[in-house]
Amino acid sequence: MPHRTFIAFILPSALAMLIFIALPIVSVVVQSLFIEHERVMVTAENCGPFGCKKESHVDEAATAELRRDQPLGRFNGLGTYLDRKHLAAKEVREAFAEASGPIDFLTRVGSLPLYKALGFTLAYTFVVTPLVLILGFMIALAVNALPYFVKGPVIFASLLPMIITPLIGSLILFWMIDANGIIGASLQALFNDPDLSLKASPTLTWITLMVYGVWHSAPFAFVVFYAGLQTLPHDTLESAMIDGANRFERIRFVVLPHLMPLAIFVGLIQLMDNFRVFEPIVGFNAGASATSLSYAIYTDLRSTGAPLFGSAAATSMLTIIGICILMAPVLVRTWRDFKRRH
Amino acid sequence: MSVLTAKTSPWMRGAAIGFITLWLLMAAFPFVWTLWGSFKVQGDFFSRQDWLNALYGVQTLAETGSSFTGRGYYGAWVEREFWRSVINTGIVTGFVVVISLTFGTLGGYALSRSTARYAFWILIAALIFRAMPHITLLSGYLLPFFQLGVWGYLSTAIIVLVAINQPFTIWMLNSFFQTIPKDLDESAMVDGCSRFQAFRLVIIPVMWPGVITTGLFSFLLAYNDFAVTAVLLSQENQTMVPKIASFMGSTQVQGNVMFAVSAVVSATVPLFILVLFFQRHIVSGLTAGAVKG
Amino acid sequence: MATISLKNVSKKWAGFTGVDALSLDIADGEFLVLLGPSGCGKTTTMRMIAGLETISDGEIWIGDRVVNTLEPKDRDIAMVFQSYGLYPTMSVYENIRFPLRVRKVPRETHHERVMRAAAMVELGDFLERRPAALSGGQRQRVALARAIVRQPTVFLMDEPLSNLDAKLRVSTRAQIKNLHHELKTTTIYVTHDQIEAMTLADRVVVMNRGIVQQVGTPMQIYDRPANTFVAGFIGSPAMNLIEGDIRSGVFTATNMRVEGLAGMPDGPVTLGFRAEDAGVADRGGQISAPVYSMELLGDASMVTVQCGKALAAVKTPKDFRIAIGAPVGITVPASICHFFDARSGHRIEHPGKD
Repeated sequence: MPHRTFIAFILPSALAMLIFIALPIVSVVVQSLFIEHERVMVTAENCGPFGCKKESHVDEAATAELRRDQPLGRFNGLGTYLDRKHLAAKEVREAFAEASGPIDFLTRVGSLPLYKALGFTLAYTFVVTPLVLILGFMIALAVNALPYFVKGPVIFASLLPMIITPLIGSLILFWMIDANGIIGASLQALFNDPDLSLKASPTLTWITLMVYGVWHSAPFAFVVFYAGLQTLPHDTLESAMIDGANRFERIRFVVLPHLMPLAIFVGLIQLMDNFRVFEPIVGFNAGASATSLSYAIYTDLRSTGAPLFGSAAATSMLTIIGICILMAPVLVRTWRDFKRRH
Repeated sequence: MSVLTAKTSPWMRGAAIGFITLWLLMAAFPFVWTLWGSFKVQGDFFSRQDWLNALYGVQTLAETGSSFTGRGYYGAWVEREFWRSVINTGIVTGFVVVISLTFGTLGGYALSRSTARYAFWILIAALIFRAMPHITLLSGYLLPFFQLGVWGYLSTAIIVLVAINQPFTIWMLNSFFQTIPKDLDESAMVDGCSRFQAFRLVIIPVMWPGVITTGLFSFLLAYNDFAVTAVLLSQENQTMVPKIASFMGSTQVQGNVMFAVSAVVSATVPLFILVLFFQRHIVSGLTAGAVKG
Repeated sequence: MATISLKNVSKKWAGFTGVDALSLDIADGEFLVLLGPSGCGKTTTMRMIAGLETISDGEIWIGDRVVNTLEPKDRDIAMVFQSYGLYPTMSVYENIRFPLRVRKVPRETHHERVMRAAAMVELGDFLERRPAALSGGQRQRVALARAIVRQPTVFLMDEPLSNLDAKLRVSTRAQIKNLHHELKTTTIYVTHDQIEAMTLADRVVVMNRGIVQQVGTPMQIYDRPANTFVAGFIGSPAMNLIEGDIRSGVFTATNMRVEGLAGMPDGPVTLGFRAEDAGVADRGGQISAPVYSMELLGDASMVTVQCGKALAAVKTPKDFRIAIGAPVGITVPASICHFFDARSGHRIEHPGKD
């Protein structure tokens, strides 16, 4: 296709991505280097019958004017990145100096906001992704063995957790695990512990969120694997049977290798999607015991009073760098494939 | 498939059926339960005495004189004006789908037909954009949008959602277009079409299934979005999902959780209908990206 | 109707030359076949003429216009694709009418022209069907009808028969030949099948690795191949090629000795002869070797022997029989021999030949 035609066709899409994805990244970089203005203080001498007293108070008008003139705030360099809410350079150094051992060090660092969010995000990503693959594969195998006429309804029901709005899905589960909801109450009865609450303990909250994550994404893995099972190489399976492979050897040597590219595809998509985990934390109202990187940005942007643009931008930058590291092996592989093909 | 299932022992079959039953329960029961519960009062759906009350509606009967009540729906739709959000969601998703598909079919077609190196780079850039958490971009939008005075409007949210969905859309359409032989555009061009005419008269008619599938996913992305709409829309322009989230903040206190439950059920219905009618498209769409592996 | 000229036309991709400085003049009404193995640049050449591929270097003229930068639609050509490129959402009738529709040919003439084109390829009964409901041969004819409906100045055909089964291929080949005879439109036809080339072409262009090997009528190419590539590509079976030496008018190779080559320079050389020109000798013969294989073709029997690394096949009468391994003598008189430079492969004329 001639270059000129190509440009004409791609232009709307490319412009949309350039203006609303690439430029905002630049904007994030710039914003992360700035910090909100301090409030303008004025000192006035207040003289009364008992002598004069110096009082300082916020000059609201001057503060508003300053904010209007320089909306970005004041230049802060990499300060925001290094402060306590982000990389917390000082605190980490202190923890390193004072910690009694590696566990103590990790506990100390893990209680810092960014590392806490990073810890949950990574734990969520790397627990949910493999579980989704395994559960999805098992459902696919089981559905594949069902008689034809029930497959349609089963697939219909299986799609629901995935198609549902994440926030709504997590709300539905949230109500069910409420101490007065069906699952919460049943669990209390089961463990005979009237104070048991899935919301109270951080560990249980983590587990709940991850269970939600698997519930939400397993249908996706299932559908892809199920489609893969429909295109199994029959010749190879049959020759494996003739060569004497039993059922499990056939799965091991023919089915799994056939599904491997699909597993990589699902795993990649899951890695990207789980790394941005956000809505369930809002839905489960779990911000106290589990925060993710996305959630941290959200709370900065929605913070009462003025949004903390600088802080949100710094976390965003760190998140973007994180996703790039996560994606690097994939990109390198795609590039190699491309080089080989051309 | 017969090769795989041949000579399955009854034991294996039983285990498979048991497993599937369990999964179906997990997948579908929460929806059934919430739908049922939305017609009860809060005292039943969140019963302090016995969760079985939610089944029989003891409190509901006591409070309203009937085992079922539409109070939650009335409260959400009328008192709290949920209908406004429904209309807003309709506007946003409608425009997002149409614009996404227009931009995406043009771009995806160009990418699928170009052998140049930059086409590859555009796809890679799109992949990276696709991986980026939406909220990171939002922190880039918010301040400039405030400054430009475009914050809070539906049109702003629409354009942003279109852009955020573009990477996904062009990837998906690109892989659909690649299944259409190039011979088709080339014969059209030799027969007298310009590139655009070939695209419009010959390729798009063949592409309808792919366009519908991609449209479904654009719809889902726009409809299910929380981050963009929650941060970019003003109170009066809120769509359903952020509206429900704001219910959560206020209703819990006032004992009106049932408003939120009813709103949640209302917002789920269109998705159900969608899966009911387009199950095949959704399945083919999910696998379209995977086929090329 | 138009002549076509290619002047030093090249197609280069990064680090790869698809077509190298090709020059060619095609006369008005000529049926020209581009012949070569896959990847030889024949399809690329045709696609550059069609405007589906950009031209890296050189000029293409159709009639009195340079068409290098013209869109395909502005070149007044029609093309039949290997996989036909039919529009699956349109009926056969609409498929054939499509070129008229997009070129804004006056509406009232459409029906008559479509019906005439359909009649020429005997498609009258299928006009309302979709392409998916047609057999391979019928689809092929729809593609042909779509090409002829507009009476363009040039027909381009890209391996149009390669997706048909052997029997259908023969009848469709005849149909194409007949169509060309009737319409007399300049036609360029790409194929890798030398039989199609021989039967259809006014002139054949043999290509390999982006370079023209020989241009000529089918008989010229068969009788006087310009190099070992053409010799080995044309004919069935292809010409036997045996490497050996000439010393004072005598060619020698393993199991082989040909005399009477006075006037040929001494040195290493490749000797070629066609299976159908040689025969089995009662006694003696220029080749004597054990039989390597014996194949019955029905109308003839093929005897193959080894001469060093090369295999040499000879066509014998259909009732000839001989056991594998039995010694056989083969007559290869100097008059049927072709000679090629051992290094470059170029043809060397020998003065003794008629």
